[in-house]
Amino acid sequence: MKLTESQIQDLYAFTRQHFVEHYDLQTELVDHLANDIEAQWQIQPKLTFEDAKNKAFKKFGIFGFMDAIDQKAKAMNKRYMRYMWTELKKWFELPQIISTIALFLLFYITFSTVYIATLALVFFGIITVWCTYKSIQLNSQFRRRKELSNKKWMLEEMIYKQAGSTMFIFMSQLFNVYKIPENYGGNTYFLVLFSLAFTVIALVNYISLEVIPNKAEKLLNETYPEFSL
Amino acid sequence: MSNSKLYKGSLTTIILKLLNENDKMYGYEITQRVKELTKGELKITEGALYPALHKLEAEGLLDVEVAKVDNRLRKYYKLTETGTKETVNKLEELAEYIKTMQALVNPKLA
Repeated sequence: MKLTESQIQDLYAFTRQHFVEHYDLQTELVDHLANDIEAQWQIQPKLTFEDAKNKAFKKFGIFGFMDAIDQKAKAMNKRYMRYMWTELKKWFELPQIISTIALFLLFYITFSTVYIATLALVFFGIITVWCTYKSIQLNSQFRRRKELSNKKWMLEEMIYKQAGSTMFIFMSQLFNVYKIPENYGGNTYFLVLFSLAFTVIALVNYISLEVIPNKAEKLLNETYPEFSL
Repeated sequence: MSNSKLYKGSLTTIILKLLNENDKMYGYEITQRVKELTKGELKITEGALYPALHKLEAEGLLDVEVAKVDNRLRKYYKLTETGTKETVNKLEELAEYIKTMQALVNPKLA
């Protein structure tokens, strides 16, 4: 005996009730439960769908789907970081490296003046405002996508919703920017490091909030063969 | 299962070995195949299988494929090139472990 379409839908709802939010993991678990239920029916054809479902779920142990959810999130995070790293590396290769150097020089030259603290704050402000704007924009895009498809993919959520997290780490350093003494502008080591930090932060934010979201469809199709099914 | 703790460390090796012999497999199939091969002595629990599969996928040892079977989607796992190489290493490691244990438990045979 095979499961009906409505029973499959019931299994999807069941995984959601057990805290599996993302469609990618739901699909895999639904197929597993369905196989188990069908195998049980071969031995005991009279078993009800509900009983068979509960028996199949019990085999996951007392933590249910929790371990699977955790491990999947870790695995996806790793994948996201790999995409991030691949994109970042491109900015240190030709031709992008020219823009990277230009950006670095812009920071370096402006920070070499006595106005270093003020200018750092200005750049800081520009980056923060842009990041906030992009985060809000991506968040609402994500909501719209979810409304349209009624599905949420783990990598999709990372691309659209976690992208701004680097910005918050950056923002938490605001306090340190205030404290820069004016004479620091003359210290070359400090200047190089400080300008480099700004360059990398600008790049990382640009990649996570602009480059990767623009490639979302491609990355999602690459990660999930079922995405376009 | 007689003693799950003893088998725990070998779970990834078991998965890799099975995928090495079969072109592609899905989660439920793996649990059933292990049960069948070990005549029910070893049962891979669902709670351990999927975390292990996702970890191997993240490490780039496995690749996935999805197909529509009956009225649902099925996710298949298969070895990547790195995965195939790693399988050889893992099996060698396991053989070495078995040999060491043999020497400890039953010195006459070693």
